[in-house]
Amino acid sequence: MLSEILSIGFLTSLLAGTIRLATPILMPALGQIYTQRAGILNLGVEGTMLMASIIGFATVASGGGLWMGFLVGILAGAIFSLLMAWLSVTLRVNQVIAGIGMNVLATGLAAYVYRLLFGIRALPAKITSFQAVDLPGLSDIPCIGTVFFQHNVLVYLAFALVPFTWFVLEKTMFGLKIKMVGEHPRAADSKGISVTWIRYAAIVIGGAYAGAGGVFMTIAYLNMFTESVIGGFGYIAVSVVIFGRFDPYKAMSGALLFGFASALQVRLQALGSGIPSQLLLMLPYLMTIAALIFASKKAEFPSAYAIPYSRMER
Amino acid sequence: MSNRTSIKVALEIVGTVLMVVGALLIGAVLVVLSENNPIEAYQAMIAGAFGSKQKIAEVVVKLIPILIMSLGVSIAFKAQLWNIGAGGQFLMGSIVSVAIALYVPVPIWLRIPLSFAAAIVVGAGWAALAGWLKARFSANEVITTLMLNYIAHYLLLYLINGPMQDPYSDLSQTDVIPDGMRLTKLLGPTFRLHSGLFIMIAVVVLMIFFWRTTLGYRIDLTGQGEKVATYSGINVNRTVILTMGLSGGLIGLAGWIEIFGIQFRLLDGIAGGLGNTATIVALLGSLNVYGVIAAAIFFSALLCGGASMKRMTDVPYSVVDVIQGLIIIFVIAKNVVWDRCDPMKLFSKKKGYSQHAE
Amino acid sequence: MASLAVKMRGITKVFNGVNANDHVDFDLRKGSIHGLLGENGAGKTTLMNVLYGLYQPEEGTIAINGRTAEISSPTKAIALGIGMVHQHFMLARPLTVVENVMLSRKSRRGIFLDTKETARELRELSDRYRMGIDPYSKIWQLSVGEQQRVEILSAIYLGAEILILDEPTAVLTPQETEIFFDTLREMRDDGKSIILITHKLEEILSIVDEVTVLRLGKLIGAKAVDETITKDDLTRMMVGREVLFHFPPLTRDPGDIRFRLDGISAMNDKGLVALKDFSLELREGEIVGLAGVDGNGQKELCEVMTGLRPSVAGKMTLDGEDVTNHEPAFYIQKRISHIPEDRHATGLALNWSLKNNLILKSFARPPINRNHLVQTKKVEENWLQAEKDYQILAIDGDEQVRCLSGGNQQKVILARELNCEPSVLIANQPTRGLDVGAAEYVRTRIINARNRGCACFVVSADLEEILQLSDRIAVIYGGRLMGILPRGSDPLEIGALMMGKGLEEKLEERELEQQNIH
Repeated sequence: MLSEILSIGFLTSLLAGTIRLATPILMPALGQIYTQRAGILNLGVEGTMLMASIIGFATVASGGGLWMGFLVGILAGAIFSLLMAWLSVTLRVNQVIAGIGMNVLATGLAAYVYRLLFGIRALPAKITSFQAVDLPGLSDIPCIGTVFFQHNVLVYLAFALVPFTWFVLEKTMFGLKIKMVGEHPRAADSKGISVTWIRYAAIVIGGAYAGAGGVFMTIAYLNMFTESVIGGFGYIAVSVVIFGRFDPYKAMSGALLFGFASALQVRLQALGSGIPSQLLLMLPYLMTIAALIFASKKAEFPSAYAIPYSRMER
Repeated sequence: MSNRTSIKVALEIVGTVLMVVGALLIGAVLVVLSENNPIEAYQAMIAGAFGSKQKIAEVVVKLIPILIMSLGVSIAFKAQLWNIGAGGQFLMGSIVSVAIALYVPVPIWLRIPLSFAAAIVVGAGWAALAGWLKARFSANEVITTLMLNYIAHYLLLYLINGPMQDPYSDLSQTDVIPDGMRLTKLLGPTFRLHSGLFIMIAVVVLMIFFWRTTLGYRIDLTGQGEKVATYSGINVNRTVILTMGLSGGLIGLAGWIEIFGIQFRLLDGIAGGLGNTATIVALLGSLNVYGVIAAAIFFSALLCGGASMKRMTDVPYSVVDVIQGLIIIFVIAKNVVWDRCDPMKLFSKKKGYSQHAE
Repeated sequence: MASLAVKMRGITKVFNGVNANDHVDFDLRKGSIHGLLGENGAGKTTLMNVLYGLYQPEEGTIAINGRTAEISSPTKAIALGIGMVHQHFMLARPLTVVENVMLSRKSRRGIFLDTKETARELRELSDRYRMGIDPYSKIWQLSVGEQQRVEILSAIYLGAEILILDEPTAVLTPQETEIFFDTLREMRDDGKSIILITHKLEEILSIVDEVTVLRLGKLIGAKAVDETITKDDLTRMMVGREVLFHFPPLTRDPGDIRFRLDGISAMNDKGLVALKDFSLELREGEIVGLAGVDGNGQKELCEVMTGLRPSVAGKMTLDGEDVTNHEPAFYIQKRISHIPEDRHATGLALNWSLKNNLILKSFARPPINRNHLVQTKKVEENWLQAEKDYQILAIDGDEQVRCLSGGNQQKVILARELNCEPSVLIANQPTRGLDVGAAEYVRTRIINARNRGCACFVVSADLEEILQLSDRIAVIYGGRLMGILPRGSDPLEIGALMMGKGLEEKLEERELEQQNIH
């Protein structure tokens, strides 16, 4: 048993799995950094991912092509998150309840859309998913090639988004405005920045990233849709953002940690480790709680976190 | 109750009903999109909920866990603790009920109160754990209660496929609890309605008084803000844990009732969507006991009717789930719009007492 | 006649059916300092928010430098050369000075930030007006005075020729105010036009060229400030009647020591030392005022005294009994009442009814609590009594306390905190944000409590209030007690202590003492 775990083959496949499974958490987490920095706690990411996963999948299944499916998924995420923006920014409702409502709605809608488009069937509808790209030279390097260079293109895209997100937040006017709106919306308002607009933008961008993460699950990780395909990844992404203290690079390490837990769980199951599979499946969820325990008190939340802004109120 | 208050309550009810009707209308559109007749669909739904004595009894059967759980959820929500882990707390209550009923080597009559108490304690503990994590580590309770749902679910799967699996069956389920322990059927063997109904009524009566007790005030005040609660001499951390415990205790109790009244064994899916439904019902009822009762009755009928509609027509059951989601979103939106344009203004006589911004 | 920088005519702004500004005219001469005077709630800030584009008026016109302008947003205002420094600083604390400034205008590098250039220019400007601001320091590292300079620097950097300052001296000591006024005069001589929103009469008389007075949203008048104008004239314009600035002197001698702080130290929320070795005695039937600039440990001190914050060193005694570091409920039981600084988040449950806010601290105790049930009848009686005694203006007591005006809200708190016959009253900024009438009422109530034998402790950043109320005046700076002065002390002496004068000597003295002990 132990020797099997320590074998090179096991380790490389574990690390490759870590990167692959980190992807659907990393994408929404990066998006939620924009959203949370702007002062919005969007727990509706879970539902947003689910909507994107079904709509993107349906696009591919109806012959739209993988890239089209990916783009439609992103768009679906952006559009669905507009609902959160309307509720939390325009109506200024309690963001926690709004998020819960979005998720219940998405659960129903996703199942409805799937049933509408695919009918009742014995076997789930399947598509051909994104395949690993072969990078000549790199992919063939022993071990390193397997771990880093045998992934599908969306995985690379997700990791490329890390420096991109950092750059937008730290080096552009837009990023600075987002931080200002999350820290001191009244000041942003008095400096001529539209709090409403920036928060809408931050939520919709977060939705687009979440959409990418959601559609990744159905057209790049799996090749089918199930109602539990997201399985809490949205909530995990929110905790990864808190764990990563709203920084893209730290969030990446958080996502990798979860990817590792998920991959380890899958590998150990395959190995027949003797630990019941159901207990291994708890691992990512236990880790989420552990991450929150570890990070919540230390994280410096934006001052206007989860607080609606109104010009008229003091 | 003063005149003003009653007008306010009336307006509140009118608004909520409007929102529910709105959600049902959109549901009708979805039915049309799935190439079905919405009138037939809703007819099937109504007939499925109230069409016969048997059907009404089924609605009550559904009402028992939904109402108890919603009241449990509303305790936590009142303190602004977003316990969305009702599903997990229900499962933990069910698991411990069955474990004690099947395995504890004491006389049957003793196992009943033992499992009853244990279900409440374990449900309470599962929720209080999230409360403690919040009090001690500031861990967001929405995420922790949800993660605890997943963990409880996998624990259930593990138990019914492993140590607690029925030794005489290949199915993923436990053995049934002995006949003598089950709750009495109230309307004879053809009806599933059981004596858990009386427990539900007792809980409702308790809850009517609860918000007038000092503990109820304490929980409510904690929900008004940590600063003002601390200032008023309340130990907020202790209250958070206690509130979550009370909330989870009621939900665990619902788990016990479901096992001893309906399910008699553990299997996957016993929680159904009960956790989500309880959350919605609590919000729809504005966390008010009477409101929650009305909302719970409505939802029990909706779910029973929906299941019947699924059998009788081609309409996908997910329409019912969509309606649930729409109802929450409409109701929270309504609360804000209602507050914003303040229909009460039409009725307030004294002018100029209110604050204006400089 | 010199040309007008700002000419506002017939400005009307309505909030919830109430005219916050009612056909107000306002003229600002170029190159002058103009005082905008009025009580809280008079509509000064609303008028200036209209000028700055934050609010759109229902009626009225604005002309800037003779040209009619439609100021639809702060961006427009900035483009027209209008800058505003708000009473609460509009600065994000985790960001740097330069980041805060860059937000207000377009970057020269398009969508990317032009941090380096901006920082260089800011440094040059800061040097010219001798402000000593490092563009790369984070806001939270700066003192309140420095933050104010950052705001002014930022406004000028953005090309402001018309500068609106909202209650700028509220956070400054008398000495800092003098330096600040020198800077303003320098700017005026550079040709800038400055509007000073204030309710302090001395300031109007010492620096302002012209004054406009508002009352209840209406224009009362505008005048040039010269030798003929007196404080009384202005008061009458501002309040519409004579205000009593005199309170009855002490009618009884203070009694025994009731509450004693002995070497108390405490941390603030960030874990830094906020209170250092603070000792004070409160006597029965005496008001001790605590003077100091905001944020020098007053809040932490009040919180330690009521159990809301633990002390890390020192001892507190109440009537000789050790009461250090208990839970808040303990102090409530001991009848230590607390009027907190933050009415909205701490002193009231805004969504609760008035009735329930009155029993916030007593619902768990008899007679309100019987057999663990809250007795509605007792709650009702309690409310009717309070409504009568404290003249609370309300519909029926069932409405949310959120709907009440600030003055009424403070009355609810007073009713609750004074009705239990407190042995000690701790009042932190009890009149902040209230209009003159309500503030007067609050002060009278505090004096009444003192006359009934309560040991009162009043914290205020308003020196005038401290001087009126206090039997003894304690001064805090940097979390330390700077000294205790008798009634009728010289405001300048207090001001010097508020700035930390004598701190060095005090520390040296202490060192010597300690050496002597060894």
